[in-house]
Amino acid sequence: MAAIAKRQRGKTLESEGLKEALVGFGFIALPIVSFLIFFIYPLGYAAYISFFDWGPLGRVANVGLGNYREAYHDFLFHKALKNTLLYTAVVVPSQMALGLTLAVTVNQALRFRTFFRAAFYFPAVAGSIAITAVATYILASDGLLNSAVGAIRGTPYTHSWFGESSTALWSIMGLNIWTTSGTMMLFYLASLQSIPTEVYEAAAIDGARTWRTFWRITFPLLKPGHFFVAVVSVIGSLQVFDQAFFVSGGGGGPNYSTMTIVLYLYNTAITGTRFGYAAAIGIILFAIIFTLTFVQRMLFGRAEVA
Amino acid sequence: MRKRLIVLSVPVVAIAAAILASTSQGKTTHPQAATAASGTVTLTGWSVGTTEEALLKQVIASFQRKYPKIKVKYDAIPNYDQAMLAKFSARKPPDVFYLNSEKASTWIADGLIAPLDKYISSTKFSTKPFYPRLLAAFKAKGHIYGFPKDWSPLGMEINLDLLQKAGAKAPTTWAQLRSVAQKLKPLMTGTAKPLCLSAEWQRALAFVYQNKGNVFTKGKPTFTSAAVRSAMNFYVQLQKDGLGDTPAKLGAGWCGEAIGKEKAAIAFEGNWAFPYLPDTFPSVRWKFYPLPKGKQKATLAFTVSYSTSPASKNKQAAWVLITYLTGKTGMKLWTSKGLALPARSDVKVNFPAPSRAPLLSEARYAHVWNWPAGWDKVWTVGNNELSAVMEGKESVSDMLSRIQSEAQSAK
Repeated sequence: MAAIAKRQRGKTLESEGLKEALVGFGFIALPIVSFLIFFIYPLGYAAYISFFDWGPLGRVANVGLGNYREAYHDFLFHKALKNTLLYTAVVVPSQMALGLTLAVTVNQALRFRTFFRAAFYFPAVAGSIAITAVATYILASDGLLNSAVGAIRGTPYTHSWFGESSTALWSIMGLNIWTTSGTMMLFYLASLQSIPTEVYEAAAIDGARTWRTFWRITFPLLKPGHFFVAVVSVIGSLQVFDQAFFVSGGGGGPNYSTMTIVLYLYNTAITGTRFGYAAAIGIILFAIIFTLTFVQRMLFGRAEVA
Repeated sequence: MRKRLIVLSVPVVAIAAAILASTSQGKTTHPQAATAASGTVTLTGWSVGTTEEALLKQVIASFQRKYPKIKVKYDAIPNYDQAMLAKFSARKPPDVFYLNSEKASTWIADGLIAPLDKYISSTKFSTKPFYPRLLAAFKAKGHIYGFPKDWSPLGMEINLDLLQKAGAKAPTTWAQLRSVAQKLKPLMTGTAKPLCLSAEWQRALAFVYQNKGNVFTKGKPTFTSAAVRSAMNFYVQLQKDGLGDTPAKLGAGWCGEAIGKEKAAIAFEGNWAFPYLPDTFPSVRWKFYPLPKGKQKATLAFTVSYSTSPASKNKQAAWVLITYLTGKTGMKLWTSKGLALPARSDVKVNFPAPSRAPLLSEARYAHVWNWPAGWDKVWTVGNNELSAVMEGKESVSDMLSRIQSEAQSAK
């Protein structure tokens, strides 16, 4: 009797498990399918056409590895690569630092905490082109920033931030560090709030002060947060396009300073109509992003919940 | 197991995509056009201001009155190049569309534009009234791929109040350009300078032609020739001597804005200053003059044609629309407000003030901005190198060598 009941229970459990699985699959089916169609399919397509001279009407000639060889010798691509890597190397740590600072600030019991959270996140919500357009006026040679600097130091200051190759890319870096810090703040906030309060209580009992607590306890426990923010930041930085395009009018800025990989890819495809070469550049960028993400995964380990 | 299945689907789809891509044909299908010109014809251009759009709609309305059987569907699209390439790739291009002379060689070489010769011969359409240099921008291998709808050369915009205060007359030679700029220099305050000098070959090249130089001679790039070098040295020297500067240094987005904000007294721009300057900076008093003369008179011209594509649906009606819009009546109506200059010598318009006559007078010696396929990259390099020279980071000779090597390997 008990054995029959056990078997029946087993069967019900099995069919319940199957039902649960089907429901689960049903929910993720739509996002997975759209992911496959809109991300994976174009990736495969791009990989294919990168081996050809491909125009708007389709295949023109088979060039094998010719596009990749051309990229290897292309000095404009090298400039784009150098700028993009420099940009990433500066922006990623800065975004992480600023995001973490904001998250720690906003995690405390301050007055108007909700307002600050919204205010810090706001730039991520405002359109990047709109922000850049306003920035071109603020950073113009006779713009707001220079007027303020001139007023402070007494003599007029007329440096054109986006118009000089020494500061164009750095101005874009500063702009993007500020706009994306809000998103990083959110990620760090989530990670911060998952650290159990007992840890802090234990530290307080042991007499640890705030700075020490932060560096010895909070910071290491934020490893999952660091990993996630670092990966997202690297991926986003390597694909910088909007600001470079807007600030330079598509030309890559004064003296190649704002030429980024995606901007070069865009010009090659849209103005040059060389889809095959553009696809090769895209695949090279994909390989760089993939490698860096893989390296980060090895460094940070798996992102477990604390 | 299930997780593995999901993960496996990713490369499977990627490979499937590659296989599907390999089977896609690179050929176009040519649907047969309707026998008589009728039906709907789609007209697509890039987004223009409200004044221009209203005027174009007027021209279309007059076309519809003359050809009641043809219905015109007009669309102005932003991100024109991107959107048009998508339409071409999908084999669903509009029937009539704008073709920029800058892009003409590339799009024609890609097979995106239909030659009009058989329509020209069957309807005995005369191409004689078009300014030959403008029409030549849309010719390739002896075929005609479009008719210029309008054009604008580069002229010299001068702030009349500042000119008067300096007690000078508009310069007509290179030497006078320098001396007038010297006279204007003490009147310019802050970041302002007498001349606005774009770090762009789309402006500086006019000086090269004036110096009897050429960057593309007998089918080969000639950036390092002596005439080109001395012309560019003249242009760059103006900045080095403090007589002018780039728009960014002056505090403007482009030289038209520099004139409007009175950050410069003299700029080299074209008819596109209308209606921008009167609308945005109505208080500035300025006038167009022809460019100063070097060893010879020369200027640059920018033009756009109406064209159709081999894959366009209604090619018969497209031809009728194109010939109307670029015909005597259509072009006269389109250029009547002075927003664009007529590309035909048989269209005489009385422009509202200020006068475009100085611009029109340049037609005979205007060089159209039109280059072989693959030269878009040459000019990207060219403009970046020129901006480096104008930042004092490079010599003119090094710039020219670099551009020359890029042009020699252009695809």
